[in-house]
Amino acid sequence: MNHFAYNESPYPIREEIRTAYRSYWQQLASAGSWWSGAERVAIAQEVRNATNCEFCSERKQELSPYALKGVHNSSTTIPELAIDAVHRIVTDQTRITKRWVEELAENDLSNEAYVELAGIVVAVFSIDEFNRALGLALETLPESESGELSHYRPQQAVEGTGFVAMLPVDGDAGNEAGIWPGGRSANVLRALTLVPNAFREWLALSAVQYIPIQDMVNMVQPEGRVIDRMQIELVAGRVSAINQCFY
Amino acid sequence: MLRASAMTNQTDVNLQAVNGEVSGADIGITYGMELMNFAQSVASRNESDLVAARQTLLDVAGPAVLVDAAGVAANFQRMVRIADSMGIPVDDMQTELGQQVRQELNLGRFTTAQNSMATQ
Repeated sequence: MNHFAYNESPYPIREEIRTAYRSYWQQLASAGSWWSGAERVAIAQEVRNATNCEFCSERKQELSPYALKGVHNSSTTIPELAIDAVHRIVTDQTRITKRWVEELAENDLSNEAYVELAGIVVAVFSIDEFNRALGLALETLPESESGELSHYRPQQAVEGTGFVAMLPVDGDAGNEAGIWPGGRSANVLRALTLVPNAFREWLALSAVQYIPIQDMVNMVQPEGRVIDRMQIELVAGRVSAINQCFY
Repeated sequence: MLRASAMTNQTDVNLQAVNGEVSGADIGITYGMELMNFAQSVASRNESDLVAARQTLLDVAGPAVLVDAAGVAANFQRMVRIADSMGIPVDDMQTELGQQVRQELNLGRFTTAQNSMATQ
């Protein structure tokens, strides 16, 4: 199937966007480090279920995000904890706590599996949001592929920043040599690096949706964009503020 | 980053546009009002607002601007969820520019501020 052809789009979609989305869809369908291809596609489906989940809406109104019990709008067979994690990241991410992430690990959703799951959630959600922003139908999810899990965890990952272990600033060594674009890191770049491919996947999307990290210093007119940097940052800032993002 | 890009471009902008202040959006930024409304409607996930904001931006700025803006909005729908799901703190809470912006926009009101406050 030719994904992201955008034949129905009334607006021309940049080729680099179509290519990056297609590439991500292929990665989504393949076995990852901690989730199979079928599970990864199921996580993607739950992202879509979360955007129309009555229980999530009710829970968001509650003072405590962990007190209300209920059933999510779900259509997959991944574990309930994973379904809840997907829905929470999509609909109530500001109230996620370190304690909750620790409890996931105590109940067999390891930090590594949580990070890969989060990476899938945010990547799929951003692609879907792009289509929704333009009034376009969501892309059909890919057919999953078989394959072995790598169970890869970078040896140099350390605790101490945020809720899970991540690569340290000087962690671009071994299999992760050159992982920081332009040699510079930041906490947001480190965030998903307990599963390095989760980081690599969102970085490729960000380069076409926003700007490549290497061009962050260009505060005037990013190459290949018709909007200038101030226009870009106004959109970025307003979206972040509505999402109550302190970072 | 809006403050940094405005400084580089030696342009006066009203940072309160980030907080949705209508009178601030057009100052120094071409199509500022339309971009702000579009970003707002995407992030708040209000479909009727989005339909209107998309059409307005398309009418005044054209399809290429709309597609670029949709990409940026989609990107930050992702980035905020990366930051919050992993609980990462701000890298350096001590920079003068960062402190100014956080104070000016009153970002300390956000729940996730605690992820950064705890590391100070």
